[in-house]
Amino acid sequence: MIESYHLSKLYKRGVYALRDLSLTVDKGEFMFLTGPSGAGKSTFLRLLLREELPSEGDLKVLGRDLKTLRPSQVQTFRRSVGFVFQDFRLIPRFTVFENVSFVMRVLGVPVTTQQRKTFQVLKWVGLQHRIHAFPEELSGGEQQRIAIARALVNDPQLVLADEPTGNLDPDLSLEIMNLFREINARGTTVIVATHDRELIRRVGRRSITLEQGRLVEVA
Amino acid sequence: MLRYAFDEALASLWRRRQSGLLATGTIAIALFVLGAFLIVTANLERLGDEWGRAAELSVYLSDDVTPDQRHAVEVALDQDGSVAGREFLSKADALRRFKQTFADLAAAVDTVGGNPLPASLEVRLRPRAAAGPGIEGLSARLRQMGGVADVRYDRQWLARMLSGIRLIRGAGLALGAMLTIAAALTIANVVRLALVARRDELEIMQLVGAPSAYIRGPFVMEGVIQGGMGAALAILALGAAFATLQARYLGALADAVNVSTVQFLSVEVCVGLVVGGMAVGCLGGLAAGSRS
Repeated sequence: MIESYHLSKLYKRGVYALRDLSLTVDKGEFMFLTGPSGAGKSTFLRLLLREELPSEGDLKVLGRDLKTLRPSQVQTFRRSVGFVFQDFRLIPRFTVFENVSFVMRVLGVPVTTQQRKTFQVLKWVGLQHRIHAFPEELSGGEQQRIAIARALVNDPQLVLADEPTGNLDPDLSLEIMNLFREINARGTTVIVATHDRELIRRVGRRSITLEQGRLVEVA
Repeated sequence: MLRYAFDEALASLWRRRQSGLLATGTIAIALFVLGAFLIVTANLERLGDEWGRAAELSVYLSDDVTPDQRHAVEVALDQDGSVAGREFLSKADALRRFKQTFADLAAAVDTVGGNPLPASLEVRLRPRAAAGPGIEGLSARLRQMGGVADVRYDRQWLARMLSGIRLIRGAGLALGAMLTIAAALTIANVVRLALVARRDELEIMQLVGAPSAYIRGPFVMEGVIQGGMGAALAILALGAAFATLQARYLGALADAVNVSTVQFLSVEVCVGLVVGGMAVGCLGGLAAGSRS
């Protein structure tokens, strides 16, 4: 599913955000990426999503060499990946329903399919009763569940989450993690970046620890 | 896709209608100026054509011209491509016409004794030839012929008028082009503002792999709509200004300068302005969208 070999990301200032990272993530795996702020977690996720290109090394995701993808191939690749942000990134002027269906709308999916799948995924995250609400009317946990629904609505093979519980209290964090576990149980590969080691302990899955861009621990 | 781009563009324009009005107003002003110059130059060209068509070459004959000499002059005229027709005006006809035109001076002519006016050939010229250099050559040849006393042709003022029209048209096009570039830049900046306001949406669209056309399409469409609306507004304003001026001044002006009517822009030019406005808007939208 994911193979990185001696992967490095060097920024113009001469600082390595990621250095010599080699790892493999199998299909259907749930993996945590942890480490302090600035360890390189978000950089790795951005490389996985092909938002940035590696400076050195190789990176293959879903069988594609991300260094050689053309722009149109990047678009196709990203349709197989769902992404969840720490700050939810919901569109304030859209309702819950529109925020989720928006993804399919811009991919040209027929309206009836948009409606059916949006309702299904909202039901799955338990927010089918809030479809007409706007993001500002929702709690933090509800907003993150909408963001997860948006990431899932396109049936991705891989879900990436960058500090998805960073803005939530411990109970809500566990609730969101349970959603990721359920996603993973359906066969989707999940990678969650978090600095919350207690949460990792409670969920109990493989975790890799980064420090100053280097892999320092696999647990 | 087009429907999506159109809906999003309309929604975006409505959300930021103040800046949208600024861009639409800018392009309306640019195309109003361009359209006004086009009206003026098109009517001046028509005026030049009508005057050119009415322009005559007068070949004055000597009193002692022989029939053979007159025939030779007539043949020279008939063989020249610039000549549309000719009419012989005898000395008697010339006197009669003078007395009709200048009734007050009729008595003065009688005191001179005899008929002082020469016979002439009044030559009508083809419209395009009227201001052309070929007439100079014809005039020179005619002056050399026997029985010809003089050749009169008012080419110089016609040529001056036509070069004046070209100058006005050039100035109008230059001004219009400058204003149009300014309008395109305004649209690009207004669309860019829309782009910044929607950067979260755009980022999500890029992350989910939305096609570029879906990402940039609404911004290009926004430019096209603003350009088209600006052009339509310019044509409406031009029409209103033209109707007002026509009611007050243009009818009298048309009579005064001996042109049939002063006309508004043709349908083709109006369509051209709208399409041009949309194209300018499209360029502005593309310029802004290319940085998304």
